[in-house]
Amino acid sequence: MSIVPSFTPPAAAAARAETRARARMGTAVADFFLADDDRLDDQTRATVARVLADAVGALDLAIRRHAARLLGRAGPDDAAERLLRLRDDVTRRLSRPGLLPPELVEEMIARVRQDAIAAALPVAVAGPDEPSLVVRLAAVPDAVVAAAATALLTAENRRQDEGGASGELPAELHHRLAWLVAASLHEMAGHDPAVGRALAEATARSIAAHDEGDRLDAVAMRLAIAIDARGEELPELLADALGDRRLALFVAVLARALGFDHPQGRALVIEPDDERLWLALRALALDRPAIARIALALADADPRRDIEAFADRLDEVAAVSPDAARAALAGLTLPTDFRAAIRALGAA
Amino acid sequence: MTVVDHPAAVLGASFDRDGRLVAADPALAALNARAGGRVGAVFAPPALATVVRLARRLGIVVSRGVTVADEEADIEMWARAQPEGDGVRLAVSGWREVACWAPPRRAGPVAPDAAWRWETDAALRLTLVSPDAGRRHGFDPFALLGRPLTALFDLGSEGDGLLPILSALAGRSALADQPARLRPTGAAVRLSAAVRTDAAGGFGGFLGSVRIVDEEEQAPAPTAPAAGLPAGFSEGLDRALRTPLARIVAHADSINAEAEGPIAADYAGYAADISSAGRHLIGLVDDLVDLQAIERADFLPARDPIDLADVARRAAGLLSVRAANGEVSIERPGFGDAAPATGDFRRTLQIMVNLIGNAVRYSPPGAVVAVAVGHDGDRVVATVADRGKGIAAADQARVFEKFERVDPSEPGGSGLGLYIARRLARAMGGDLSVESAPGEGAVFTLALPGR
Repeated sequence: MSIVPSFTPPAAAAARAETRARARMGTAVADFFLADDDRLDDQTRATVARVLADAVGALDLAIRRHAARLLGRAGPDDAAERLLRLRDDVTRRLSRPGLLPPELVEEMIARVRQDAIAAALPVAVAGPDEPSLVVRLAAVPDAVVAAAATALLTAENRRQDEGGASGELPAELHHRLAWLVAASLHEMAGHDPAVGRALAEATARSIAAHDEGDRLDAVAMRLAIAIDARGEELPELLADALGDRRLALFVAVLARALGFDHPQGRALVIEPDDERLWLALRALALDRPAIARIALALADADPRRDIEAFADRLDEVAAVSPDAARAALAGLTLPTDFRAAIRALGAA
Repeated sequence: MTVVDHPAAVLGASFDRDGRLVAADPALAALNARAGGRVGAVFAPPALATVVRLARRLGIVVSRGVTVADEEADIEMWARAQPEGDGVRLAVSGWREVACWAPPRRAGPVAPDAAWRWETDAALRLTLVSPDAGRRHGFDPFALLGRPLTALFDLGSEGDGLLPILSALAGRSALADQPARLRPTGAAVRLSAAVRTDAAGGFGGFLGSVRIVDEEEQAPAPTAPAAGLPAGFSEGLDRALRTPLARIVAHADSINAEAEGPIAADYAGYAADISSAGRHLIGLVDDLVDLQAIERADFLPARDPIDLADVARRAAGLLSVRAANGEVSIERPGFGDAAPATGDFRRTLQIMVNLIGNAVRYSPPGAVVAVAVGHDGDRVVATVADRGKGIAAADQARVFEKFERVDPSEPGGSGLGLYIARRLARAMGGDLSVESAPGEGAVFTLALPGR
């Protein structure tokens, strides 16, 4: 499918250049006023771009291949061959501003941050010759806990080795991204109706095969629910999860104990100055030393955290009563969609 | 310089409720005094002062590895500060002097030719096995997670009956070349691993990699005869490269740390780039110091698909500042040029930097060094041509010898560059040659297998 270059009248070209230049300057001005702390650092930006490209690439490959098979089966037409040979970059097409859902990019940024902190966490050895937390849990007699712990080992293994597979997206976001990839391929193939039908079928197949229960965060949540730590067990479990460098499990245990979902728990942990983390730990009645140890481990892993500033506030944090902390966080335990609606109403 | 009898010795100091030094063991007191500290004041070495301050302010034990600058050297140690009564008790162990230019220890597995990765926790239970291993050998890597390391590997001993892994565990040092067999398949492998340490310096697990070996290699081979490096070789190289690089790294680090006052973040970032490039080069020097590796019969650089034109452009780019300072310009292959070859990217870059660097060094001001790529039969070639004083026919073989120089009267250089470059080129299945006439300049040609 070739695109015939069309002649652009000079006036239109000038107008387009003007629009482009204004847009670019507008972005530059907005960029200038951004607070440094709010901007993505280069490493995160590059990793998010790679994770996004991997997710799009995996979907592109799966959808394109299956659609080509369907087209090949339908007739002697060389549409299948043409589809396979399309050389344009789907990720680049999808990177046009405003095309990708912000929720998708948000999820990827959060995931990249969580992985970066997890990778930098200092290891704390449980005891001489004592296996690490999740390895121990995988061998407990309780089959539900053991199975969930084994699944967590597998999920962490997959994510660490492959740098985050595309299967890591929540179902809703995976669906939206899959259709966007299909639409890009459709556009690249010149909106051919037969190709469109094959792409639709291949995309539906890819969506049906996606199991969001395999995601690291979902598996960690299952393990946290299976362990169902209460009261006095919580401080030790939280400390052990951090010491075993299992940040996803730490987040899951925290979220489970507070009645949050995983993304909410994750938001408290990955943002360096989120006061709600300390409130959450107080709501679970963690004492001063336990909170200090968690703060120190996170500060060692996340250079954006300021441990000295936290030390200034530690007494104040430790003085908050569990009841007051729970009351302060009450809004967060409402269902996600409900909270989104409340925010939307407030913004309108 | 303080002499500490034993690296396992634990030295102590105590601090009052305001973090001021009350008493310290002599070695710590001396370290503090050299940094300008005294009893009754806050501890002077900043890294140790931070550990003490955090323990006091957070009210918890704070342990971490710290590096303290002491006169000509850095001292690495494990510090543990514990709140005690109103004050804090500091204990340091594992006191180890390191030259301040030493490159940071690598955290990952070190084998460059690793086929796949594995990791364990402190109890040697597997916490990571590359899914790739399963595809390659036909077993389920996930089923091994949480199992002992020995469920995956049948560990063998070296000719002397010692298990390298035991020495690694005992010394908390990197594991190198542990012979083993994969239990699921019986395949012969070699294991290497870096050690993950916990905050107190204890063993926290292995970060390992696997190299697949041929059966013949696995059998105890007769030890290759020593290559016979001249004594003092390493010292010579230190003088030539390490010291100036270390100085660059140190200055770049202090710019990056904004030691002289605040600078724009971009410049601090550039300084970090300079520092990391410098450290990379020190890493390369490390490779060269270990020249035995190159001279061993089994030395095998990677044979990856590379673009020789791209490598040549990068090498020229790396030397553009040096060339500009010498008022020499470098003509490099255009961005449209491509020369697909097979070789080891880093080693090829090393060769090209060496060739272009030499050419720049021997060119008079205003001269042009021409770097070009092309084909010679099934080989891909890169040529570096200069307008220097040239090399007499009689000397053309000599410049590729160890410790020989293109022009011995010129300052700088270790006399190893071309020797190593040719060894590397040949190890990659290529060659390095020169054509020259006195007064006419020289043309060095690197040939690599095409693809």
